[in-house]
Amino acid sequence: MADVPSRIEVRDLTLMYGHETVLDALSLPIPRGKVTVLAGPNGCGKSTLLRAIRRLHTGQKGQIFLDAVDIASLGAKELARQIGLLAQNPSAPPDMTVEELVRLGRYPHQAMLQPWSEKDGVAVNRAMAGTGVTGLKTRRIGSLSGGQLQRAWIAMVLAQETDVICLDEPVNHLDMAHQLDCLDLVSQLNREDGRTIVLVLHDLNLAARYADQLVFVHEGRVRALGQPEELMKPELLAEVFEVDAAIMTDPVHGRPICIPRGRARAAVQERA
Amino acid sequence: MASTLVMSEAQGWRFGRPQIYAGLVVLLALSMLMSLTLGYKIYSLDQVWMALFAHDGSETAVVIAGLRLPRALIAPLAGAALGMAGVMVQTLSRNRIASPDTLGLNAGASLAVVVASILLGVQSLAGLSLAAAFGAFVTAIVVFGVAASAGGLSPLKIVLVGVTFASLSHAFVEVLLTSNEAQLQQLLFWLSGAFVDRPIALFYNGLPVVVVGTVIGLSLSRALDALQADDSTAAGLGVPLAAVRGLAFVAVALLTGAAVSMAGPVAFVGLVVPHAARRLVGLRHIHQLPAAALFGAVYTTLADVAARFVIYPVEAPVGAITAVVGAIVLLVLLMRRAA
Repeated sequence: MADVPSRIEVRDLTLMYGHETVLDALSLPIPRGKVTVLAGPNGCGKSTLLRAIRRLHTGQKGQIFLDAVDIASLGAKELARQIGLLAQNPSAPPDMTVEELVRLGRYPHQAMLQPWSEKDGVAVNRAMAGTGVTGLKTRRIGSLSGGQLQRAWIAMVLAQETDVICLDEPVNHLDMAHQLDCLDLVSQLNREDGRTIVLVLHDLNLAARYADQLVFVHEGRVRALGQPEELMKPELLAEVFEVDAAIMTDPVHGRPICIPRGRARAAVQERA
Repeated sequence: MASTLVMSEAQGWRFGRPQIYAGLVVLLALSMLMSLTLGYKIYSLDQVWMALFAHDGSETAVVIAGLRLPRALIAPLAGAALGMAGVMVQTLSRNRIASPDTLGLNAGASLAVVVASILLGVQSLAGLSLAAAFGAFVTAIVVFGVAASAGGLSPLKIVLVGVTFASLSHAFVEVLLTSNEAQLQQLLFWLSGAFVDRPIALFYNGLPVVVVGTVIGLSLSRALDALQADDSTAAGLGVPLAAVRGLAFVAVALLTGAAVSMAGPVAFVGLVVPHAARRLVGLRHIHQLPAAALFGAVYTTLADVAARFVIYPVEAPVGAITAVVGAIVLLVLLMRRAA
C-alpha cells in the first residue's frame, strides 16, 4: 500500500494507565480511503489505540498526524469535523428519538448560538437515508431492535460528515445477520464515498473479510500489518492470539478464514 | 412545525411546539390569576385590578398588593428556576430520578439557614434567604469539587457525593433544631418551603439570578444535548466535558440558590417538572429548558393555591404539597422502571 499516502500517521504513541503501559511507542500508518481493521487479543490496546487516534486520552505521548498536521494543534470541534467516532457500546436516553440522536452529530459544525441551518438538515437527512433509518426517525431509540439501533448510531456519526470514521467494536452485540448488515454498510461508505474507515473487530474472520489493511495489535505494539492474506498465517495467530489455527480460503469471498483447533501448544504448556 | 397537529409514529397525534408553549403561557396566566384571587378570602377580578393598577389604600388593596402579589410572582419564578435546574441535573447525572434535592443543594441551603438563625442570630427574612442562596452555592461547589477530585465527574459519583452531603446536612439541621426549640416553630415553616408572607423584594433579588442561570443553561443547550449520550460519544463530538459540566453546575447552583432564597427548599419540583417537559417537547434542551421553566412555574403556582385549601382555613406549607406529588411521581417512575 505504499502507493497510497497515509491519511493518518501514528508515531511513537505511548499511553500509561498508572504504571501499566497500554500503548508502547506504537507507530502505524492508516491509508487514505481504505478500511483498516485493528485486531488483537483482549487487553492488547486496540480500543485504546482507536480512542487515542480521536485524542480521547489525557496524557498520551507521541504524535498523530492527520494529513501531516499534528492533531494536538487542532481544536476539539475542528478534530470532530475530521474524525468521527462510534464508541464501544454507546448509550443515550431510551426516550430519545432517532432524529434527535442523529442531530447530535451536527454538534461540531455548530457555533454556540448559531441556529439550525439548512446544511445541518441536509446532512441529517442524508445520514438517515444512507443508513436506512429515515422511516424510523420519530421512533424512540429504546423501542428499536439491536440492528436498527446500531444503524441509528452509525447515522449519528455520518451526520458529523467526517472523512475519517472510527468504529469501536460496532458489531459486538449483534446477531450474525445484523453483523453483516452493519459491516456491509460500513464498507459501502468506504467504497462509495471514499471515506477512510478504522474498525476495531473481535472476530478475526470478519476482520479478514472486510479489511483492506489488517493490523495485529499485541502488548501495546503493532505486531504485524498488511493485507489479510499476509497476516492470516498459523505462526502469527499462534503468537498473537495464542490459538492453533488452520487457515483456509473462504470459497465465496476468496478471503482467508481461520479455524481454531484449540489454544496454541506453547500457551498450553506454559499454563501446565 | 408547519401543521397544528404533528403525526408521530411512536406517540400518536400530538400538538406542535408552538401550541404547547402557547398553552403553557395561558395556563401560567390563569394560575397566577387564581393565586391573586383565591385564598382565605376570595377576591373578584375587579378588586385585583383595582389593587394592582389603581391602588386606593383600602384594606383589600393592601392585602392583594402586599400579600397576594408577592406570592403570585415568587411561586412561578421559583418553580421555573427549579424546573430548569432539574433538567440540567438530570442531564448532568444521566439519571432521571436525580434533582437539586439529590445533589444536596436544598439540604445545604437549609443547613445554612439554620446555622444563620441559631448560631449567628440572623432574624430577618432577607438575611435568611441570603444564607439559603449561599448554602446552595457552597454545597454545589463542595459536591462538584469532591466528585471531581474523586476521579472524574462521573454521573454516579456526583449523585453519591450529593446524597452523602444531603444526609450530613440534614443531620446537622436536626441536631441544631432539637437543641434550640425556641426557634423550631419559626424555622420549621421555612424548612418545608412556602411562598406565603414573603416580601416582594425577594422576587426582585431572585429575578436577575434566575435570568443569569437561564442564559447559561440555554447557551449550553447543544452541549447538554450531546451530554445525554455517553462520555465517549460526547467527547468524540468535540464537547469539552469538564467545562460544560462545570458551567452547567454553576447554572444549577444559581437557579436552585435563587429558588431556595425566595421560598425555602420546595421539595421534588426539580424531579417532577423535567419529566413533563420532555414529554411535551422532546429531549433537545433548547426546548426542554423553556418548557420546564413554564411547566415548573404553573406547577408551583397551582401547588401554592392548593396549599391554601387543603387544611382550610389554615395554610399548609407548599413544600408539603409538592413533596406528596413528587413522592407519587417518583414511585410511578420507579415502578415503571422495574416493570
